[in-house]
Amino acid sequence: MTAVLVGAAILAAIMATRAARLLSSALWLAAVSALLSVLFFDLGAPQVAVIELSVGAGLVTVLFIFAINLAGEAGKPPAAVVPAWLAAGIAVLVPVLLAALAAFEAVATPAEPGPAFAEMLWQQRGLDVLVQIVLIFAGVLGLLGLLAEVEAPLGRSAVKEVVARREQDLLALESAARKEEVRV
Amino acid sequence: MTALLIGLTIGLAWFGALTVWLVGDARPRLQHILASVFAAGAGCASIALLFRAGADPVLRIPLGGSFGDLTMVPDGLGVFLTAVAAVIGALVVVFSAEYMRGEAELGRYYALVLLFIGAMCGLVLTGSMLVMFICWEITAFCSYALISFHNDDPKAVAGGIKALIMTQLGGVGLLAGALLGYAYFGDYEISTFLARAPGLPPTVLALAAYGALIAAAAKSAQVPFHTWLPDAMQAPTPVTALIHAATMVNAGVYLLARFFPAFQSVPGWSTAVVIVGLLTALLAGCMALVAVDLKRALAYSTVSQLGYMVYAVGAGGVFASQFHLMSHSLFKALLFLAAGTVIHAARTRDMRKMGGLAREMPFVRTVFVVGFLGLAGIPIANGFLSKELVLESGLVHGPRWAFWIMVLTAGLTALYGLRMLTLVFAGKRRDPAHLHDPGPAMRVPLAALALGTLSTWALAGPFSGLLERTLPHHDLHAQGTSQWAQEVLAAPVTWAVMAVVLAGLGLWWLRSRMEPITRTPLPLARALGAGLGFDYLNDRFAAATLGAASGLRRLQTGQLSWNVMGMLLALVALLAALLLWG
Amino acid sequence: MSISPLALGVLGLLGVGFYALVVSKNLIRTLIALQILVKSAVLGLLLAGTLSGKLQLAQSLAVTAIVADTVVAVVGMAFAVQIRRRMGTLDLRDLAQLRG
Repeated sequence: MTAVLVGAAILAAIMATRAARLLSSALWLAAVSALLSVLFFDLGAPQVAVIELSVGAGLVTVLFIFAINLAGEAGKPPAAVVPAWLAAGIAVLVPVLLAALAAFEAVATPAEPGPAFAEMLWQQRGLDVLVQIVLIFAGVLGLLGLLAEVEAPLGRSAVKEVVARREQDLLALESAARKEEVRV
Repeated sequence: MTALLIGLTIGLAWFGALTVWLVGDARPRLQHILASVFAAGAGCASIALLFRAGADPVLRIPLGGSFGDLTMVPDGLGVFLTAVAAVIGALVVVFSAEYMRGEAELGRYYALVLLFIGAMCGLVLTGSMLVMFICWEITAFCSYALISFHNDDPKAVAGGIKALIMTQLGGVGLLAGALLGYAYFGDYEISTFLARAPGLPPTVLALAAYGALIAAAAKSAQVPFHTWLPDAMQAPTPVTALIHAATMVNAGVYLLARFFPAFQSVPGWSTAVVIVGLLTALLAGCMALVAVDLKRALAYSTVSQLGYMVYAVGAGGVFASQFHLMSHSLFKALLFLAAGTVIHAARTRDMRKMGGLAREMPFVRTVFVVGFLGLAGIPIANGFLSKELVLESGLVHGPRWAFWIMVLTAGLTALYGLRMLTLVFAGKRRDPAHLHDPGPAMRVPLAALALGTLSTWALAGPFSGLLERTLPHHDLHAQGTSQWAQEVLAAPVTWAVMAVVLAGLGLWWLRSRMEPITRTPLPLARALGAGLGFDYLNDRFAAATLGAASGLRRLQTGQLSWNVMGMLLALVALLAALLLWG
Repeated sequence: MSISPLALGVLGLLGVGFYALVVSKNLIRTLIALQILVKSAVLGLLLAGTLSGKLQLAQSLAVTAIVADTVVAVVGMAFAVQIRRRMGTLDLRDLAQLRG
């Protein structure tokens, strides 16, 4: 069961990469999210599964669709900076090396009796949650700042500053031209 | 107390740099005053430090991890060079108050000069090779920034970059030496290196020795790395007097003197040092003879005298080389500052356009004569005793043929010195512009340096005692001043040298009668004027480096995919390395 | 050496993500590639959790990772929209201004 899910997830990811239209890519990404969510549930991590499903397959996908609609498709013919075979080679090489390094043959140990998820998250990793809140706040600010439409018009004083600075530059140029002394 | 003095010397200089910069260019008078005060403070602290020299580290601050400790060892070699740097630095700063009046961006100027003074003191006082390297780099940066101080002049900028590139070669050698020391001995301390150097495998020691020679040759503008010093004359003259006569160029000689006990046993090293010093002294002397730019002639003269110091170290006369270093710093700074006033007044650097300035600038003429006496090695100036000591140690320990060439060069030195003196001050006025003697801010440093030139030969005894006491690895022998003087005056060699010097002076005096003889070596003179092809080689080298850099630019595509690719390739390499050797 | 299918999943997604990151020519495709990479990382976290028995801790960390990654995606998309508006294109080859 796990193997099927994993295989399907990888397939979906590959499809996301190779889809011709951006919209299809986004939808395949949603599929990856969904499959992974089921996988998480299987593993015994239901809370993460739910979050992954709602955030990954829901929020992020919607955002992507929004963005794709606003930003549109690119029309240029594909001429990659890095040749595809090199990219594929590296993409295979890194996981292979990691596999050779890491001890993936370890046997799963049964979950130790510890605090429940809620307590773990809010109590023991409380700092993490705080940081996440700050992160979300920062993200919202960034979003608002980036999507701002209006450019502040130059006030009168600002215009005067610009004019004054330009005059100063002209004067400086003149005096530099007048300096013909031998550099001692 | 000693640690406090060291802290004051370096700290006052650096704090002064920050303060003058922060005061801003809107208040130049305040900048002049503050800079002078801080420099003078550092100078006084360094003189007080002279009396508290010792062989043990007085300051030890762990820098954490594999950076070793920040140690300060006020031994004889260090405190004397500190005093030279800080005192001449203070005099130069006072001189700049009038010389640089009306110039723009004084904050940058003074900040760099004060930063340099502090870094130079740190360089010679520290006992850690890593900290020495850091200070070395700071001085190189200050030198570059000050040479190209007038950064709207392309010649100045080119000169600065040339100086930077060549002296950085030396810096790399120094870093390599420091890391070698750390790898083999576990710490960066110079004392450890000197004590345990015989334990290094011979090839490693030879590598370190020749690397140090290259580093010193690049920093002290020895052949074949001498081409940057004449081009560094684009700097404002007080800067030239401080950095390229009295302090930074001495760092190379200091390096050789410091590590001499460790490297003298490397086969062929001493001879190589002697040859480098010899070639430099001779070639640079010849180039000084044909130079028409006053500052350039003085620059070649500096290179030539540095050659004397290097020769002395190679011949085993560490005390002689350092004593000549002190004398040279004084009279060369004097000559440069005096030349600065001349150039400032006559508005030209070409000696052929000067002449007859003695009438209108008698004070400058007098101090220039004193400087000339030091340069030529005439008995009342400090240059006499120090140069004779150098030649004597060369006679005793060095190869005979080298000695005679150095004696000849002494005559050459007198020749070009007198040439400079007469071209500038004697004869008819060739350019009818109005000239006058400089004001007090410029006179005081000149007078102080002239007095020093005439008197510091008396320090030979105490100085040698200081060195013997505080440099345990160097195996030096100290004597009183009168004994040094007697030794020199009694040696027949001295009289031979004096004869050659007089012959040199006579040659110039009678030059009008010698026209037919002086006309023949004209092509040689032209070749010397062109720097004997060294400049050409240097330009080719710089062009090649820039070409390689332009080629490498193509790697910077700015493409995201390319950069990610780079990251992944590095990751692959890292993982592979972990797999193979982890 | 037997590798559990989960581990294969992590490595596989990692590889696909890297490949996508390198070959993508569009800013939005780059964002999608980043998402795939982070999903593989989360899976890896949970795999580590099952192997070591500390599943709850792994879950907390995974939540943090998902939140952070989502914020990145959001800001990235805002970037994309604004770039499209100002520069008229999302093609990475045209947008490269840090040329040497």
